[in-house]
Amino acid sequence: MAGLSLKYIRKSYGDVRAVENVSLDFTDGGLTALLGPSGCGKTTLLRMIAGLEDPSAGSISLGGRDITRLPAHKRKFGMVFQSFALFPHLNVSDNVSYALTIAGTPRGQAAARARELLDLVQLSAFAERRIGELSGGQRQRVAIARALAQEPDVFLLDEPMSALDAKLREDMQVELRQLQQRLGITTIVVTHDQHEAMTMADSIVVMSQGRVEQMGTPQAIYHHPENAFVADFIGKANFFDGVTEGGNVRIGQHLLQVTPPANFIDGSPVRMAVRPEKAMLAGADDGNRLPAKVTFVRDVGPVQDIHLDTPIGRMIVSDSESGQPLRVGDALQVTLPADAIHVFPRLSDQAAA
Amino acid sequence: MTAVDSPKANLSAETPPTRRPWGTWALALVIGFLCVTPFILVIVISFGQKIDGAGWAWDFTFANYQRFFIGALWPEEVTLLHLQRLYYALYYAVIASVLAVLTAFPFTYLLTRQSRRAQSIWLVFILASLSLSEVFIVMGWDVLLSNRSGLPMLFEVSGATDWLKETGWFEVLREWGLANPRNVKFKTSEFATVLTMSYLVWPYAVILLYPALSRLDPSLTEAARTMGAGPARVMSSVILPTVKLPLIGAVLLLFVFLLGSYVTVVVFAEPAKQTTAVAVYESVRGSTLDAPFGAAQAVILLVTAAAFLALAQYLTKRSEIR
Repeated sequence: MAGLSLKYIRKSYGDVRAVENVSLDFTDGGLTALLGPSGCGKTTLLRMIAGLEDPSAGSISLGGRDITRLPAHKRKFGMVFQSFALFPHLNVSDNVSYALTIAGTPRGQAAARARELLDLVQLSAFAERRIGELSGGQRQRVAIARALAQEPDVFLLDEPMSALDAKLREDMQVELRQLQQRLGITTIVVTHDQHEAMTMADSIVVMSQGRVEQMGTPQAIYHHPENAFVADFIGKANFFDGVTEGGNVRIGQHLLQVTPPANFIDGSPVRMAVRPEKAMLAGADDGNRLPAKVTFVRDVGPVQDIHLDTPIGRMIVSDSESGQPLRVGDALQVTLPADAIHVFPRLSDQAAA
Repeated sequence: MTAVDSPKANLSAETPPTRRPWGTWALALVIGFLCVTPFILVIVISFGQKIDGAGWAWDFTFANYQRFFIGALWPEEVTLLHLQRLYYALYYAVIASVLAVLTAFPFTYLLTRQSRRAQSIWLVFILASLSLSEVFIVMGWDVLLSNRSGLPMLFEVSGATDWLKETGWFEVLREWGLANPRNVKFKTSEFATVLTMSYLVWPYAVILLYPALSRLDPSLTEAARTMGAGPARVMSSVILPTVKLPLIGAVLLLFVFLLGSYVTVVVFAEPAKQTTAVAVYESVRGSTLDAPFGAAQAVILLVTAAAFLALAQYLTKRSEIR
C-alpha cells in the first residue's frame, strides 16, 4: 500500500499560522519523528493527520485516497496521547479492547485480542487492574496497546515519553522502537527531544514556526544540517558570522578553509557552524588553526566541555580523547577541520552570535 | 495518639489556664443550641397531642405517625391520604430534578467547550439568576401559564387550539389534563408543577455539573474518536460513564431540594395532588392548627430527605475512591 502523504498543509487560527505549507511523504513501515521546539506546529500537524483538526488548506492522502475531510472516527489511526487519555471507568483489558468493542467485535474475540496485545507490551498480569492502579510507564504501555488494537494503518504518538521520568524514558524509547520494527507499522512520533528522535526514528522532520526546516535520516540531519536552525536544534553547534571569500569564510583577520567550498558569491553574509566534538584541541596539521584561551572547563565524565576564547569568537569544544588536564587560563591551539565547517546564508533577522 | 501523649498538650497543661476555653465553650453552646433546638423541638412536638379547640400538650404518643401512615381511624378505616401527599412530593421532585439535570447536561457540556470568557459570562449570568426567589419565579410562570393570558391565549389567538382540535391532539391533551373543553390549560396541572420546579433548580443543575464537565479531559473524547467512535458513541461510552456519579449526585441533591418546595405546589398543583410540604404548613399555620401532626409530617419529610442525601454522600465517596 502506498503511504501517507501531505500536500501543502496549512493551518491558521485567526491570524496565527500554526502550520505553513507542509508537504511530506512518510516512509511506509518506517518511524518518522516530528521534531521541533514547543509551539512549532508539530502537534497540530499530528492532530490533522489523525483527523482531530481540519487543515485550513492542503490535502492528506493515504494510499492514494484523499482523506482530508474524513472524520477521525473513520480514519481510525491509532493514537497515543500525551496524557495517555486512558478511560478511567474501564479496566486495562477493556481499555485495550475499546476499539474492537466499538467496531462490534464479539466479546470473547475482543478480550482475546486484548490479551494478545497486553502480552506484546508485557502487561498480561495487569489485565483486570484499574487505570488508577498503574504507574506512568504501565499506563503508556496500555495506551500503546490500545492504539494498536484496531490494527491501524498509521500509528501516531504525541509526546509519548513526556509523562515518564528520565530513566524510564530511555528504556521505553528502545522498547517502542523494537515494537514498531517488529510490527512494521507506519509510525509518526511528535517530540521536542532530539535524543528521543535520534534514538527511535528512521527519518526526522525538523520543524520550526510551522514550517519544515529539514527532513532526513538522523545521521544526515546531524552531519549535514541544511540551515542554521537545524544545526542549532539538533546537537550543539558553535556559530560564527562572517562573509564568503572564494568559497571560504572570512571572519575578521582570519580566513577559514571550507571543504567542499561554500557555494556563495564573494562577500555574502554567512553563518558558520562547527560541532563541539568536531573541533580538535590536539594539533592536527590540516584545517584551520586558531589560538585559544580556556575560560571554563566542564567535566561531565566521558567528555570534557572546554569553553574557549578565540579571535573569531567564543566556542565550546567537546574533548573525549586528549584527556589532558586543562585549567582556566591555559593557552592552546584549536583546530577546525575544513570538512567540519557548515556554512549557511545569514538572514537579516538573525542577530550576530 | 491521644492528646495527653503529645508534647504540645503537656506544655499547654503546664501553662496557667486562660479564660478563653470558657468563651469557646459558651459560643459552641449557643451555636449548638440555635442549630439543634429547632430540630429537637420539632421531633419532640411530633410525639405531642393535639387538644381539640385549643393548642397542644406535651406527650409521648405515636398517634401522629400512625395517622400519617395508616390514618387516625385505624383499625376501623385506613386512610392513605398523607402517604399519597408524600408520594406526590417524591413524584414531582424526581421528575423535575431528572428533567433539570437532563436539560442542563448538554448545555453545560457545550458551555465547557466555549472560550474562558464566554464561560465566565454564562456562569455569572446563571449565578445571578439564583438570586431570584421562588415566589418571583412562580409569579412569572403563573402569568405565563394562566388561562386568561399567557400561553393558552396565545394558543387560541394563533389558531393552534383549532389546529389541535382538528388533528385530534386536543382530546389527547384533555386526557392528560392539559385542556378544558374550550382551550388548552396548564393551570393547575402536574405539567406546570414539574416544569416550574425544574426551572427553579436548573441553574443549580448547571453549577453542580460544571466542575465535573470542565475537568473532563478533552483527549479522552479524542482518543475515543481515533478508535472509531462516532459522536453518539463517544457520548455513551466515554463522557456519560465518566461523569455518571456527578450526574447522579446532582439529581439527588436537586431532588432533596425540591422535596420541600411550597409555593410552586400551592400555585400549580391540583388540590388533590398537593405535597407533604404544603400539608405541614397547613397543619401548623393553617385552619387545623395541629402542630404535633405538622411536626410528625415534617420529621418524615426530613428523614426521607436525609436518606437520599446519605445515598448521595455514599456515591460521592465511591467516586472519590476511583
